[in-house]
Amino acid sequence: MSNEAALREFLLAFADDEHLIGQQHTEWIGVAPFLEEDLAFSSIGQDELGHAVLLYELVCEIDGVEPTDAAIDALAYGRSAEEYRSSAFTEFGTTDWAEALVRHWIYDMVEDLRWQLVAESSHAGLASVAVRAQREEAYHRRHAEALIGSLVTTPGRVELERALDTVLALLPSLLAPVAGIEEMVAAGVTAAPLSSKSSDIASQINAAFDGEYEVQVGSGARQERSSAFGPLMARMREVLDLDPDAVW
Amino acid sequence: MTAQHNPPAAPEVDLEAAVLSAIASVDDPEYPGVSIVDLGLLEHVEVRNGPVGGTLGVIVGVGLIPTFSGCPALEMIRSDVDRAIRAVAGVDDVSVNWLTSPAWTPDRVSMRGREALARDFTVAVSINNQATRCPRCGAKTTEQSMFGPSRCRGIHRCPNCSETVEVMRG
Repeated sequence: MSNEAALREFLLAFADDEHLIGQQHTEWIGVAPFLEEDLAFSSIGQDELGHAVLLYELVCEIDGVEPTDAAIDALAYGRSAEEYRSSAFTEFGTTDWAEALVRHWIYDMVEDLRWQLVAESSHAGLASVAVRAQREEAYHRRHAEALIGSLVTTPGRVELERALDTVLALLPSLLAPVAGIEEMVAAGVTAAPLSSKSSDIASQINAAFDGEYEVQVGSGARQERSSAFGPLMARMREVLDLDPDAVW
Repeated sequence: MTAQHNPPAAPEVDLEAAVLSAIASVDDPEYPGVSIVDLGLLEHVEVRNGPVGGTLGVIVGVGLIPTFSGCPALEMIRSDVDRAIRAVAGVDDVSVNWLTSPAWTPDRVSMRGREALARDFTVAVSINNQATRCPRCGAKTTEQSMFGPSRCRGIHRCPNCSETVEVMRG
């Protein structure tokens, strides 16, 4: 695999995860359990969508395409399922708030590590996006940790543990190495594969739950979509499909 | 020959000042009356001569930075700045871009910006993790919610005067 192709795989996987998790968070607008959570999920979702745009812009650079709104939309909404590189972790749709909260907590824990790994990237554009994203991640993590930390000592802990089982079953897909990851490490684009952080992630989860959970790393290089992808894409394209040629 | 009371300044100095004041005339859509320059969104301006449609003309390049990456007002602000500069006599072409670095921080808000935000919007600015002060009475505020009515504002409360205070942050 050429370095350029490997970089495209690497950026797309990151961008698609950010895009889909952002979408998942926005679906809580108006229906979160209380007002502060409504605001938090919509604000955090907005950040993740912002990161997705910045990463899709870097993909446009590789494709030799001007990063216009139309070009970003084409990447975000216009590809066939097999061209996405999202993980089952971010594709998973849920109307269960405990699952949404635990997923947000673990996603941002992992996302923060992902940005740290590219903070000194040889890809200057990616490194500069990382600087800003890390500032925003600090808020996301503080939000998730405060909620998990206080709910874990309440009877609601049962709900969190149930949700954790669901989310941990999806986590391997998020940590699965993308195609060409060795080239990306060799080229200094990322300091290490995300999969190398699995024990770090496990210890953070175990510290919060005083547990002995294990974190597995998946395989498959993100070439296949989970069964949740189709319905999610249909929700995302719902308005777009009403009039594909509409000018916004 | 009559004495000239106001000798014209070098045209390029005039033009640069006019461009800067055009940019400063653009308000943030969230805070009508508060200039994007006072909010610290302007990173650089360049006025140069270059080819415009086959002849030599004056080109203005502007680099802006957003308060956060997912801001939905970016295109609106970009086109407002573009339009304001194009209206300046002597400008032939304009290019306004959002930069990925540096990252915006609240200490980029000017004193005038902080005063206007406090006076007109009861919005405080969070500077370098220092305690945030109530725009009404000056007491230290306490955080209610990290996230507020828009992504770049959290919600604080003043324990002294009970005012709800929005706090602008990065």
